[in-house]
Amino acid sequence: MSEQAQPGGRVRVLVVDDHPVWRDGVKADLEASGSVEVVGEAADGGDAIERALDTMPDLVLMDLNLPTVSGADAIRRIVEATPHVKVLVLSASAAEPDVLEAVKVGASGYLLKSATSAELVEAVLRVVAGEPVFSPSLAALVLGEFRRISAGTQSEPGLTARETEVLKLVAKGYTYKEIADKLFLSTKTVQNHVQNILTKLRLRKRYELMRYAIQRGLDRAPD
Amino acid sequence: MSAPGATTDSAAARGRAALPLGILALRWATLAWTAVVAIATTNDMRHPVLAWVALAATFAWTLWLTLARPASGPGPSLPRLLVDLAISVGLIVVTGIVNQPGALSGRTGSVFSTAYPIATAVTWGAARGVGGGLVAGAVLGLALVVGRAVNGEDLDALRTVQALSLAGGAVNFLVAGAVVGFLARVLDQSAVELRRAVDASLKASARAARLAERESLARQIHDSVLQSLAMVNKRGRELSAAGTVQGAEVARLAELAGGQERALRALLLREPAAAPSGRASLRDALEALARSVEGPAPTVSAVGPLWLPTGCVQELVAAVRQALENVAEHAQAEAVAVFAEQDDDHVVVSVRDDGVGFVWDPEALRAQGKLGMLQSMRGRAEHLGGTMRVDTSPGSGTEIEFRVPADELDDQEDDR
Repeated sequence: MSEQAQPGGRVRVLVVDDHPVWRDGVKADLEASGSVEVVGEAADGGDAIERALDTMPDLVLMDLNLPTVSGADAIRRIVEATPHVKVLVLSASAAEPDVLEAVKVGASGYLLKSATSAELVEAVLRVVAGEPVFSPSLAALVLGEFRRISAGTQSEPGLTARETEVLKLVAKGYTYKEIADKLFLSTKTVQNHVQNILTKLRLRKRYELMRYAIQRGLDRAPD
Repeated sequence: MSAPGATTDSAAARGRAALPLGILALRWATLAWTAVVAIATTNDMRHPVLAWVALAATFAWTLWLTLARPASGPGPSLPRLLVDLAISVGLIVVTGIVNQPGALSGRTGSVFSTAYPIATAVTWGAARGVGGGLVAGAVLGLALVVGRAVNGEDLDALRTVQALSLAGGAVNFLVAGAVVGFLARVLDQSAVELRRAVDASLKASARAARLAERESLARQIHDSVLQSLAMVNKRGRELSAAGTVQGAEVARLAELAGGQERALRALLLREPAAAPSGRASLRDALEALARSVEGPAPTVSAVGPLWLPTGCVQELVAAVRQALENVAEHAQAEAVAVFAEQDDDHVVVSVRDDGVGFVWDPEALRAQGKLGMLQSMRGRAEHLGGTMRVDTSPGSGTEIEFRVPADELDDQEDDR
């Protein structure tokens, strides 16, 4: 696939979904907004990784239930290979642990397929602008994850009181702007808090993998 | 033994695994007996040194067999079996050499070793089945005859009793090998058959569980999702045929599809969990409530399933229902969110909308007829030993939070 000329300012998106009807619909919605250009499509996880490396989009919009390579695995490999590429999950029926896993391995947001076209476009633009898109239910999941952690070891990064407060307000359905007004902060500060929460969640995932590796003796170089 | 289903070790499999150990014990017992005989009869022997050399060799072999015994896996290899057979044949022939001529049939002198070779016949049987046992037994029996010849006996001149005794010795080897071979095969087969039976029954019950789950899923889907799809299909056709389409009609269809979408997602979202007795999941109850609400559905988010006493869940859901009705009636909200969590000592449920909000003034609210509903909600929270907090101002939406002490809930359950 040859690199297409990039029209000024339009966000370049790769759409990954195994249902062609959905891909077409999403593509139409995104392009109708005028601010998004769909630079590629993929129908399964393996294809998604390849296309992401080929097209270097600003954002990969993907379903989680995919053939060949699972959504979470594809996200992990895309984010590992190209850290600047953002990933937004768009799913109809993903189970809670899958959604949490997707965020842990690098997705910057989660949206239900029942979201309106306007919500979808807004979410895409926000994620590309560096703003994590958390639904209330995802915030509750993340809150639960950190609860579990704080009940366990202290060696891993937990949330500050302020971060917990922000996360709780997201779970209650407040927008970042509303949270900022409520807590007398700037919207940017609220975004930073959410970004830090996300970073800690990913760090935890890395700690988890490292601990696993050490337990299994995988940290030692072979003789 | 790493075949699928090997976790279900049967008595037969354990017996089969113990067989080599038993044979090893037999080797040491017969070796000890041979040593005792050798000590007792050294003075009667023609070649005591040869007897002791043979004994030492057998001891070394048995020791090696004991130490190099594999923990599991296939039986002894063919070379190992052949060496074992050679040693036992050697022992029998040496017995003929070391004893005084005629001692073997005449019972006048000593018998050096015919016991140890039994272990060899048995080993062959265990490793190679009835056929293997018979082959080894035959070779050993032949060695017995050769031993007699080497001993200097004239085989043609044997008396009937002596000939029978010799034949009996040979038959002993044959029988030992064959019987153990048969036994090993039976144990093997029953272990395999049992494992197969267990596998089959596990598969059958897993299949039955899958079918039952599928059936109950299918029923739910048939009941609601399929009917709604049929309705969307039918009304969609009618609307497209009508030419002019009312926006409200299409909105109703969208709502119908949206409701089913949420119901189906709730079904797929997480593994169904068994409720502790007397308890219900507050999260599940709130999600069910949200699906039943008219108009735009509230989002429900909760930290965990929140297993609470059933009565308490009902009370909280009733309070949230009133709050949602209040929102629908007065708030003019675009988005409504219900959030529930349990921290160290409280269960907290909040209902938040982004609507017009209001001024918290009991007198004014009473005049507008809104106070009764709020007080009813507060009453429910207080009935559970908790509190209700209202956070609102004109233009910035409303948050109503119910906060109920968790231990209070458990006490209520205990009273029941």
